[in-house]
Amino acid sequence: MFAFLVRRLLALIPVLLLVLVIVFSLVRLIPGDPAVTLLGPGATRDQIIALRAQLDLDQPALFQFWSYFIGLLHGDMGHSLKSGQPVLNEILIRLPATLEISINAVLIAIVVGIPIGVVSATRANSGFDHSVRVISLTGVSMPAFLLALLLQLVFAIWLGWLPVSGRISPYFFVDRVTGFSIIDAWLSGEPGAVSSAIAHMVLPTTVLAVFLAATLGRFVRSTMLEVMDEDFVRTARAKGLSRHDVVYRHALRNSLLPAITVIGLKFAEMLGGAILTETIFSWPGIGRYMYEAIRNRDYPVIQGATLVFALMFMLTSLIVDILYAVLDPRVRRKMS
Amino acid sequence: MRDLKRFLANNTLALAGTIVLAILLLAVLIGPFLLPSPLAIDMAAKLQPPSFSHWLGTDNFGRDMLSRVLEGGRYTLAIGVLVVAFAFVVGVFFGLVAGFAGGIVDTVIMRVVDAILSFPALVLAIALAAAFGPSLQNAMIAVAITLAPQFARVARAQALGVSSRLYVEAAHALGLPRGRILTRYILVNAIGPLLVQASLAFGSAILQTSALGFLGLGAQPPMPEWGADVSANLSFVRSSPWTALGPGFAILITVLSFNLIGDSLADWFNPRRRSAA
Repeated sequence: MFAFLVRRLLALIPVLLLVLVIVFSLVRLIPGDPAVTLLGPGATRDQIIALRAQLDLDQPALFQFWSYFIGLLHGDMGHSLKSGQPVLNEILIRLPATLEISINAVLIAIVVGIPIGVVSATRANSGFDHSVRVISLTGVSMPAFLLALLLQLVFAIWLGWLPVSGRISPYFFVDRVTGFSIIDAWLSGEPGAVSSAIAHMVLPTTVLAVFLAATLGRFVRSTMLEVMDEDFVRTARAKGLSRHDVVYRHALRNSLLPAITVIGLKFAEMLGGAILTETIFSWPGIGRYMYEAIRNRDYPVIQGATLVFALMFMLTSLIVDILYAVLDPRVRRKMS
Repeated sequence: MRDLKRFLANNTLALAGTIVLAILLLAVLIGPFLLPSPLAIDMAAKLQPPSFSHWLGTDNFGRDMLSRVLEGGRYTLAIGVLVVAFAFVVGVFFGLVAGFAGGIVDTVIMRVVDAILSFPALVLAIALAAAFGPSLQNAMIAVAITLAPQFARVARAQALGVSSRLYVEAAHALGLPRGRILTRYILVNAIGPLLVQASLAFGSAILQTSALGFLGLGAQPPMPEWGADVSANLSFVRSSPWTALGPGFAILITVLSFNLIGDSLADWFNPRRRSAA
């Protein structure tokens, strides 16, 4: 297990370096002189020279990358051109908001998607199966901003059941302790704060969860069907086990392992969706921060947020690989 | 052709997707000749709900939304084709070279592929489009870059599988040039899975480019691109929801049609899934 971990981490190094090169190159891809583009038409010569120096643009490329790399090791992602604050601090402040809705979305998607996939597989080609297929294909074909808009229109504006946007009702004074709104609302002790926090979270979480649940349901269905064809399932049937035991103790357990990989991979795509979702619901996470940075042409922030999204993705794949190794005895044995 | 007929006859959903796409294609080709210009401003008729004279209503400049949606459809279908074609050519080229050459070339190409795939696709597309500068062309390049690695992976796997076949060894023994072997023997035999990948990529290409348009990084106003139109009409969504929902549903219907076909093709080419389905 230890050897596997070391090998996996070592393999990560060249990819991580290339990821850094890509993120580093972003500012250098700006056509013309980035400093002039960033400052806009009204900039003075002195401002341009100062910004060039701040971004190291007056140095050779290799030196620029080296100082970017060393900066990152010290937790320095540069400063926002808009607010002047360190990018890392601004991202860390917003990280809990993004994690809150994405983790909840993963949990909801697992609870909804897996049972749907199992039922579809056990009733393959039934009316239920076909409608699930169409619904889930609709789920993956839906632009996140359209779903967000529809939910907002129906549940917040027309029915008035849920808040339109934001994280908690402005009537509550909740101090930031952990950055997670439900926990902070609970710590504040204000009656009604927790339910307000939850109500605000429902719509953005649903938008993210729909996509993942749709993908997961389809995937579990097809792996279940493949597994049901395998010899060990036939043996289990031949032994006279009940249908319930065959499906849930043999087939399902073996279909869930590959599902972990899908959850990990799709989690990353969901993070991309968070940019659109957070923008529509004014959810103060990294996604909306990135959107504001695009509007303001705040490149250090765009770079920082891109890198954090990539790191979160790489970390998820690493965790998925480790989980896979821990859970699957075949992989475990091969490693040791 | 007979294969295509058999495929559509056996796949109701793929047939449905094909019919919807055919209708859409017809509508975007003919529609603009019958409707007012998508750019024609008529402030007297602004924000009108759907009616007989404006089937999808009008936006806050009084422009006919159906005209805009149909004109946007021309862009969107062209975007889908161009982005996938670009990603296909670039990805397949590098994938085949990696699989065929092996060694250090393979390692370098595949590490770059891994690195690109380490970003959530939309995040990388956003970052690249933001760096290139907001325009439809740049958004399309950015999306194609994020899609190309998937083609590279499939092409490499196919090249590795096919390279060891006897007929490829025979071609080597006959002294055929490497480029010829690559295109005439390896690519031709790897085309099936690549086409499945391409049909699935259409949906992603359209979704991502429209997302960039929505964020202001793609098509610029007054171009009637669907994602940009949804975003331009966001502030009127409470009073005049049709302005944003028209182009939004157009994206959904188009992407869904492509995915219905792609999904059924993937089943068709995968015997295990076919027997299961």
